[in-house]
Amino acid sequence: MEKLMPLELLSNIRGARPSPDVGKLFMIIKDALPGNDVADHEEISGDLYVPLEDLRDDEVIESSSMEKEIIKENFPERKNDYLVVSTVIEEI
Amino acid sequence: MDSEILKIHEAYRQGSHTCAGLIAGRIGELEKSSHNSVNFLLKDMAMEMASAADDRIRSGTGLRALEGIPFGIKDVYMLQGINASGSSGILKNYKAPYTATAIRKLLDAGAIPLAKENCDCFGHGSSNENSYFGPVRNALDEDLVPGGSSGGSAVNVAKGFTTFSIGGDTGGSIRQPSGYNRVYGLKPTYGRISRYGLMAYASSTDCVGPISRSLEDIRLLLNIMSGKDARDQTTFEPAFIPGDIFSDDPNTRKIRIGYYRNFIESDNLDGKIRSDFIRLLNVLKDNGNEVEELEFFDDKLLVSAYYVLAMAETASNLARLDGSVYGERVAGESIRDQYALTRSENLTGETRKRIVGGNQVLAHGYAEDIYQKARSLRKMITGSFSRDFRRVGIILSPVTPNTPPPLGSSLKNPMVMYLSDAYTVGFSLGGLPTLSAPLGTGTGIQITAEKNGEESILKFAKYLKDIL
Repeated sequence: MEKLMPLELLSNIRGARPSPDVGKLFMIIKDALPGNDVADHEEISGDLYVPLEDLRDDEVIESSSMEKEIIKENFPERKNDYLVVSTVIEEI
Repeated sequence: MDSEILKIHEAYRQGSHTCAGLIAGRIGELEKSSHNSVNFLLKDMAMEMASAADDRIRSGTGLRALEGIPFGIKDVYMLQGINASGSSGILKNYKAPYTATAIRKLLDAGAIPLAKENCDCFGHGSSNENSYFGPVRNALDEDLVPGGSSGGSAVNVAKGFTTFSIGGDTGGSIRQPSGYNRVYGLKPTYGRISRYGLMAYASSTDCVGPISRSLEDIRLLLNIMSGKDARDQTTFEPAFIPGDIFSDDPNTRKIRIGYYRNFIESDNLDGKIRSDFIRLLNVLKDNGNEVEELEFFDDKLLVSAYYVLAMAETASNLARLDGSVYGERVAGESIRDQYALTRSENLTGETRKRIVGGNQVLAHGYAEDIYQKARSLRKMITGSFSRDFRRVGIILSPVTPNTPPPLGSSLKNPMVMYLSDAYTVGFSLGGLPTLSAPLGTGTGIQITAEKNGEESILKFAKYLKDIL
């Protein structure tokens, strides 16, 4: 039970509880024994990862004026031309 | 070679159709449709673009590659100034600030977007019933699911409402609905097409791909959308695929074909799909191809590994949806309340389930037994493919274990829905290119090659079409 409690907080979803269907899916891989279902299969890292030397340098790209305007339009709440931010209450 | 794009261009050149007439007709069909395949119809934008295309055609300046071609966009892509909801309630009023790279390339080639298409919420589903906008109905039988998550896109193509649509495929979301609606759907090699501007589900397997009724059009679209993009650092620059690959080549008969024995012997596989698949293998043998039986991982194990990894990634990707800077916001007494209320009230049940599942497998006590094991299995899958493609040129498999279920049944038994991805998820985890072609079985055939092997796949699909 102790391990399940943080799920609500981690997911930011009220009443978050593990799903029995998803639990069944997880049990399949949990119960798969190395040397049984996965016998004779070598591990290969594959090339799904980008090599460090291929990464581009960080770059600041200025948004267009239309992009900036849409970003403001998408803001969830406005009052008197101000964007209303969320209430923050410091919790001890 | 049949190309609907080239046929439309020929009609424009001959003057038998105007672009405005064609686009107005397609929009009229979408408006009347009972399939619920559209979230947002882009009528004004499309008609304005069609008028400009007609001016261009009349001026004789030459047609761009996709001039005046109507297409659909799964509602998980950004198109500047247009709604991008991900078929979710939380983003139902969200407007895309910029345009996705793949969509930008299509627009630059002259294509005209007709609709943002219904799909499972953030790609979370295989039946297109998990949508804020309601379920989509199959193109061939409205009582059946269309498949998912790119269900609306596959239906629009199958009904002829769009000449092509752009879907997204994380674990089979292009291939499975393409199979259920009898059209072509390609999941390219991971990194071939930029994901910039695609809402992230599971970033390590997310792919952009075309759905079409024509193989030739799949080739054209793939060439246009492919290429390196500085905004997606997993992209690479592939070679152009020439049009002459579809001409008869006697060497195609020499291609060694592989298939997975355990897929075909699985209890999960429908008997008719099994017998049709075996018949197809026999046709290939009769035509001179060598067919080799291969071993792969248990289908339920593949589905389990895929969902563990996909849920872990989506839990991280969707953490941003908290009502702070965009999307719906439900005010709470504190910022923590706001996050929880906003997400609890605005995310669908399946999406909440996957986020919670993702956080569960990443948590202490589960990560070692489940998440790390799934990662390890993924490496073994990559190794297995590497070994198999030293022996064969193409791997064939059914697209789905079963025919499309009736609407509503997947919601009652989610495990059946998860298992409908059994034959597609392995290739996603391997990052391989794979095409769902409406050939061979009731839900089509899946043709897979090694990485960057799209040319071989398209060539083989044409060969298969000719001999069946």
